[in-house]
Amino acid sequence: MVMRKTHVIGKPFPLVEAQKKLTGVSCYAGDERFGPELLHARILFSERGHARFRLRGVEAARKQEGVAALLTGRDLHTRLGAVIEDRELLAVDEVKYAGQPLAVVAAESTEAAMQALAMIQIEYERLPGVYDIESALAPNAPPVHPHMASYRGFDQVQAEPERNLAHQVAFQRGDVEKALASAAFVLDHTYTAAPLQHAPMETHGGVAQRQGKGGLIMWMHTQAPFLQREVIARALHMDPKDLRIITQCVGGSFGSKVFVSVEGLLAAIAREVDNRPVRLHLTREEEFRAVFMTPAMRARVTMGLDDQGHIVAIRAIYDWNVGASVDAFLMEMQRIALAGAGPYAIPNADIQVNAIYTHLLPAAPMRGLSIAQVHWAVEQHVDELAEMAGVSPLALRQRNLVKGGDQLFPNFVMHANGLESCVLETARAIDWQPDHQREASGAVASGKGLAMGWSPILVSPHCKSRAIIQCDGENLCTVIVDGVDVGQGYYAFITQLISFELNFPIEWITVQPTDTGNYDSDWRAIYNNLLWSTGRALLQATAELKRQILSYVSEMWEEPMTNLDIVEGEVISYATKRRLSVLTLLQEGTGEGAPPVFRAAGVYEPEVKAESLDGALQSFATTGYAAEVAVNLETGDLTVLQLAGAADVGHAINPEGVKAQLKGGIIQGVSQTLLEEMRFKDGAPVTIDFMSYPIATTADMPQQIHPIVVEIPQSTGPYGARDLSNHVLVGASAAIGNAVYRATGVRIRELPITPQRIYDALQTQAKTVEGNC
Amino acid sequence: MKHDITFTINGESVHLTVLSHQTLLEVIRNDLGLTGPKYGCSTGECGACSVLLDGEVVNSCLVLAPEADGAEIMTVEGLSEDDELHPLQKSFIDHHGVQCGYCAPGMLISAKALLSRTSRPHEEEIREALVGNLCRCGAYADIIKSIQVASRARR
Amino acid sequence: MTRHAFISMETVFLKSFQYIRPESLEEAGRFLAGDAPVKLLGGGNTLLLRIQSGEEEPAILLDVKHLPGFKDVRYHHNQGLKLGAAVNLQHLVMGLEIRRHYALLHQTAQKLASPQVRNRATIGGTLAWASPVSELAAPMLCYDAVCHVWSSRGLREIPLSEFYLGDFQTALAGDEIITHVHLPAFPNRTYGVYRRQTVRHDGRRMIAAAAVLAYRRQQALTHWRIAVLGVDDRPKRIPEAEAALEGAPTEEEVDRALHIVQEQIHPVDADYARADYRRASLNVLLRQAILDVIQQLQSMRS
Ligand SMILES: Cc1cc2nc3c(=O)[nH]c(=O)nc-3n(C[C@H](O)[C@H](O)[C@H](O)COP(=O)(O)OP(=O)(O)OC[C@H]3O[C@@H](n4cnc5c(N)ncnc54)[C@H](O)[C@@H]3O)c2cc1C
Ligand code: FES
Ligand code: FES
Repeated sequence: MVMRKTHVIGKPFPLVEAQKKLTGVSCYAGDERFGPELLHARILFSERGHARFRLRGVEAARKQEGVAALLTGRDLHTRLGAVIEDRELLAVDEVKYAGQPLAVVAAESTEAAMQALAMIQIEYERLPGVYDIESALAPNAPPVHPHMASYRGFDQVQAEPERNLAHQVAFQRGDVEKALASAAFVLDHTYTAAPLQHAPMETHGGVAQRQGKGGLIMWMHTQAPFLQREVIARALHMDPKDLRIITQCVGGSFGSKVFVSVEGLLAAIAREVDNRPVRLHLTREEEFRAVFMTPAMRARVTMGLDDQGHIVAIRAIYDWNVGASVDAFLMEMQRIALAGAGPYAIPNADIQVNAIYTHLLPAAPMRGLSIAQVHWAVEQHVDELAEMAGVSPLALRQRNLVKGGDQLFPNFVMHANGLESCVLETARAIDWQPDHQREASGAVASGKGLAMGWSPILVSPHCKSRAIIQCDGENLCTVIVDGVDVGQGYYAFITQLISFELNFPIEWITVQPTDTGNYDSDWRAIYNNLLWSTGRALLQATAELKRQILSYVSEMWEEPMTNLDIVEGEVISYATKRRLSVLTLLQEGTGEGAPPVFRAAGVYEPEVKAESLDGALQSFATTGYAAEVAVNLETGDLTVLQLAGAADVGHAINPEGVKAQLKGGIIQGVSQTLLEEMRFKDGAPVTIDFMSYPIATTADMPQQIHPIVVEIPQSTGPYGARDLSNHVLVGASAAIGNAVYRATGVRIRELPITPQRIYDALQTQAKTVEGNC
Repeated sequence: MKHDITFTINGESVHLTVLSHQTLLEVIRNDLGLTGPKYGCSTGECGACSVLLDGEVVNSCLVLAPEADGAEIMTVEGLSEDDELHPLQKSFIDHHGVQCGYCAPGMLISAKALLSRTSRPHEEEIREALVGNLCRCGAYADIIKSIQVASRARR
Repeated sequence: MTRHAFISMETVFLKSFQYIRPESLEEAGRFLAGDAPVKLLGGGNTLLLRIQSGEEEPAILLDVKHLPGFKDVRYHHNQGLKLGAAVNLQHLVMGLEIRRHYALLHQTAQKLASPQVRNRATIGGTLAWASPVSELAAPMLCYDAVCHVWSSRGLREIPLSEFYLGDFQTALAGDEIITHVHLPAFPNRTYGVYRRQTVRHDGRRMIAAAAVLAYRRQQALTHWRIAVLGVDDRPKRIPEAEAALEGAPTEEEVDRALHIVQEQIHPVDADYARADYRRASLNVLLRQAILDVIQQLQSMRS
């Protein structure tokens, strides 16, 4: 595919549905109108961690005025999961984690629903729980899922349920022991990252309505309608063709609206009532308590460097606290293993990725975050190694970074990539210098740090995509796709691509909200790598549509098709110079009979064995970050002054959109690095609102933000483009960590970098210095 | 307890019967059908529910409906006039002030309040005016730019 | 009225209560004397949250914002400043008389919460919310604010330094209403500084904060005020430390004042800041604040 930078591709183009969002016109799931028939659902969540429980007063609650239906685990006991069904829709007898659903009710009003739930008393009998990695792996730890072997999908995971190992992915090359033994410098450290919340501004919810006997329609803001259809249908023993999911605008997902959380309960309760719509909308506190967390990480990294400055070996063990469910995290683990050695061509590598069950909220990955956490470890480690060897961290990176042509994995040769440009350009953006260590004015010291990142893009068996384009006189050009725009500019990309390929004005094109009803019941579209797969499908569809239009006109004008083309919304003949507006064509046709309707579909299906859980490695997204921070050496107060982020997007189809994504990644990076941390007490979250779980505001933004777009085309992507939104923040935390080190001389190996952690490290440093005197 | 209240919203006068413990956000969305103000937290932290109350930006989730009696309210729906987008809205479109868009109505209202006080705010002033509006997509930089450009475009 | 009925609550969970907007203090007093649990409603930024979470279950909310005189602001160069209890915090940011004569109040209010919160939050409600990290308390303590309180039993005055009793308790009786706050006049050459350290830079998760104020009379720097937040069970002044600074403090005197402060605070652990860390942070903030005040006052032309 050739790269063309004309027309709309490569020109700034804002989101197409932005106008709706900006004028308040309803478009999110909570905005849809359903009239007085609407029922309201509420869920009873466990407030305790691991415990036995009994519900009292269920029957009285069921009979409460205004209650239409009420379900507990005794009424409907079923398991849930995309790959491994390690969650229950509703708990029975045993609560595995605080936030687990125990009952769901639908009633005439929210008040009535709440009153009904308030009538149910929960009697808990506390059971020993394991809440962190260490205690879950301790010799006599209670297994979280002793019966895991009986779950559907157990054959898909490498698990040891009795010692809480939920899944393991490992990969080796070369001989790490030998290489470490002969390395000139060997460094060994442990890095950790706290569990986080996705915290989209729009909390989870949706509306569901039974259709006739067995059918169900759900209006939802999910990022992955096909996956949700499959999982919900299986859990409720429905035929997927009877479940239709219509998507709405999504008020942020970051991964939390991919896998099924409360949506399954909404479906279940709606099936219990007679064809009346049921709405569920979580409060912010419920969102914090009961929807997914991201897993906490513990990384133990050892690297060896020879006296020539080559990194000769890496051993890294990444342990993840996935709470009581690994299902949503499984796909991420292979990516972590592939990214686990960092963006370096290291000949000897031993990478182990372990998911550890605990009695906490189920984990789900967050927008590039797990890969970002891997880099939090590796990219600080490389700086530490550089210092140990007395070389510049930039030079060490440049010497070892992975280049096009390097073969690091079986069946995968690294493609040309912009890694080096990313790190060099970000370094330049903030004027990073190898020699200057820190600048101090009074108690405040500043310093600059760098980091790189790579993030594997996999083609999974689910990674198929279909696009249908229809042109008719009434709606002009409507597009049906199977991905969902969650703010990453997906619809804008589609509009641009069609506008470019068919040479239609943008205003003609409408992207329809994704509706599983448009697809076969076994359709499994993707939720990441969207741009790439939808792009491929769209290119097919536009080619076919153009052929249909030209062939129609060619018959009408009795001219060979090869003379014809579409230019700026008109069919023209290069031979006769005749021209006809496509609008006129669609509205009038030949003038006889009904005007034409053109319809074309494109399908992209990856050639990956459907039974394997792992996807095939397709490419790596590469990033670079550079940070300048100011630290108050007396109080530990930390300010990010500048943050530069660069990403190689192959080809920027929508450069301003890419930059917007990068800037968003920079802010999220700052937020996760400095502020965010979920905390628990006896397994129950105590960070339950934006006061206890602060996320970055405008007051925490770096004074300067430098988004940098690097373009090394991806030969297989549409127009050479590569997916971005999932990878933007990879490297941000480590760049800040490295900058903090340069400013202060102390190394923080735990995320988030809180002022207290800096203060403590500075105190320890001061004591050591004193001790040495 | 019920209250008969009257207020103007986006220039129109409305009479309503509300309960003591209903919030202004609930009434605006539920009774008036205006979906611009959003629910994000109900604790005053996120600003998604921002509206102008007598010209000042407030979190409508922390205003009781009966408190609005006699007030003049504006939601994001009142920003555009005669189907013409407000310069702020146009600027948000042009400068990527919208990602997922959930925070946008609140951001616009905060921006409107700022511009009615300070016609050409500095970046620092815009940042301060927006501290009560969370954006999880991290679109702050573009939102600030959108506001800055819009303020310059006005006479 | 058309009811669209398309959204559930979303907004939520305020248990039902009666909202009442009394026209006079006497009317308010009658409700306060009744049996039903009553709460006064200012801007609602704290109260409504506490009702949502079930910590508070009033049967009646008395909206005090429309009581006569409650929104008055009066400044007189001899008598000082009178702020009605329902004046909002945004006025402290915008008001000219505040910027000019009570700059520390302006400085602190500007950093407090967000425009949305400040536009609603009232002086009375903010002072009555006796959190150990309530930022408004710091400048108010420095300015010797006095709360004027009404109840059906009569009027009384409570100096703010005696108002906070610790652990979210105030000297207010259950039936008392703050009507206004009075701040005495301060000489022209008064200077104050507010410094805080918070985890999130908008003010969330306070580690510690301090306000320092003094004025200059001839060469002497006098009437020192030190108020601290986040390091004790209440916002408080440290008079002994203030006394140590009287005159033109030397470095040793500043150290001694800081030492006294350290002896008189009792910080507790928070999940984001241990007690010892809060101490250390306060010490740094306070030293900076004192030095700033000295420097500013000394550089003023006499
Ligand atoms: C999102 C958010 C951010 C915040 N950020 C900050 C911050 O950065 N710094 C900070 O210091 N604070 C902050 N706060 C707290 C805020 O300052 C207080 O909630 C607010 O100022 C309280 O004032 P109010 O008028 O809203 O009080 P209300 O909530 O109405 O009342 C508070 C209490 O005072 C009582 N009361 C009200 N009026 C009177 C009266 N006249 N006489 C006697 N008692 C009365 C009420 O009964 C109640 O018990 C924040 C709050 C929120 C919601
Ligand atoms: S919903 Fe009102 S501030 Fe969040
Ligand atoms: S654009 Fe998504 S929250 Fe702001």
